[in-house]
Amino acid sequence: MNPSERAPSYSGENGSNAEDTALIRRIVDADETALGALYDRWVRSLYSLVLHLLKDPDEAEDVVEETFWQAWRKADSYEPSKGAVSTWLLTIGRRKALDRLRARKRNREDPIQDERGFSDLRSTSPDPGSEAEGSELREHVRAALRELPEEQREVLELGYFSGLSQAEIAERTGQPLGTVKTRMRLAMQKLRAPLSIHRGAAQ
Amino acid sequence: MNAMTHEEAFSELAAVALDAASPEIANAVRTHAEACPECGPELASMEETIAALGTLVPSGQMNRGRSAGIRSRLLMRARAERELRSAPVPGPPDIARGVASLTGQGQRMTPGAQRPVTGETRTFTPPESQRVRTDARGSGRGVNWYAIAATIALVITGAQMLRMTSERNRLREQVAALDSVAPAQVSDSAAPMIAQRDSMIAAMTGPDVKVVPLMNQNARDPVGRMMWNRASNDWIMVTYNLRPPKPGMTYQVWLVTADAKISAGTFKPDAAGKTMMHARYALDRDALRSVAVTEEPEGGMPAPTGPMVIAGAA
Repeated sequence: MNPSERAPSYSGENGSNAEDTALIRRIVDADETALGALYDRWVRSLYSLVLHLLKDPDEAEDVVEETFWQAWRKADSYEPSKGAVSTWLLTIGRRKALDRLRARKRNREDPIQDERGFSDLRSTSPDPGSEAEGSELREHVRAALRELPEEQREVLELGYFSGLSQAEIAERTGQPLGTVKTRMRLAMQKLRAPLSIHRGAAQ
Repeated sequence: MNAMTHEEAFSELAAVALDAASPEIANAVRTHAEACPECGPELASMEETIAALGTLVPSGQMNRGRSAGIRSRLLMRARAERELRSAPVPGPPDIARGVASLTGQGQRMTPGAQRPVTGETRTFTPPESQRVRTDARGSGRGVNWYAIAATIALVITGAQMLRMTSERNRLREQVAALDSVAPAQVSDSAAPMIAQRDSMIAAMTGPDVKVVPLMNQNARDPVGRMMWNRASNDWIMVTYNLRPPKPGMTYQVWLVTADAKISAGTFKPDAAGKTMMHARYALDRDALRSVAVTEEPEGGMPAPTGPMVIAGAA
């Protein structure tokens, strides 16, 4: 399989974070071939995420390029103790995508797209056989999402897909800010538990 | 924002991980988390959780050609930046001479410490009064230098080098045709401009021209090209759609070799974001690693200090 065709995965699941970390070290040493290798490993996952957020292939491509460029420029800021390289990359990409969503909102180009939620994230891979590496994790996450109370999932979805601040979520849902914070924290804690178990089993 | 208490920071961790906190709060939380043995790991764990959510999105596949293009641009820019940052800088006395403004008329460039000035460099936008006039009644028909340059620049792309000779001849025929319309009506003052134009066309269409596409982060296509005629030592840079530098700043061109970052002068694009520079400088034919443009304080700097605006690997 061409590395760039890899299905969305999670480096903590396929044991590749050591390889990613080695690539980051080489990038810090200004080895651009390592940037190419990192691109091949993660472009598909990153593109999938930002495309889902932005719903615009052109913008998604821009974000992918900006993200890898930032990875090149800021590789020395990556700290392995704070998470996998994939987490770092996907976090950069998601933030950049959310910045664009917020800019659209400021320009009134794109009203908040409430239809983007976790409920449409079932059986989404076009090639289930190719994503065995991450499928177990995905099932854990999906199961955890299904277990979330509706009000907690709603807060999570608004934050994850729309880039709304907690205050904006409070306004949108008509709930006090403190309630939104609590729901968000509880949702995160409930999601994290199965991931911790999964990570523990993978080690 | 003042430092947060542990309780305050802890209550905001989820929002920060989700990027749903204000920048001020996020900064304060991260500052606290850096030193807090409880909040630091908690925040990292939550960010892992958020990243895991990203694995649930539908699998999207970028167009292969566009993906390859992005990859190629990234590597080219990375290489250019690496070479820009790693090449040694020539000593101060020569560098000081080497930083010449290209926006004035006829100012010289001393690109390297070891090499003599061999020509002149300047922007190539003829003033209105100097434009070639071919209309017997005096109505102006300006030579569109940018159009000529852009045409040539488009012609000289890597895969099209083989076509260059025929294109050169075609361009020369076009120029000759223009000149033959009413040669007697060309004013004497225009003669130097015509000679300059011919020289420029020759420089850009010669048989030994190396073209370096110059890219920026956001553009899908090159926003400029450096053409280096290795036979004549002419360097011609064309840029398009460049934003003006910030007040008090200017753009500075660097020729990057394994041994040096050679200042090729400073410039500012015109109101339309276009620039054209011409210089003459001898460089070993395999020495050029990359070309870069950085934003520097007015007057230029002896070594790159500002952000890279555009760059390309040779």
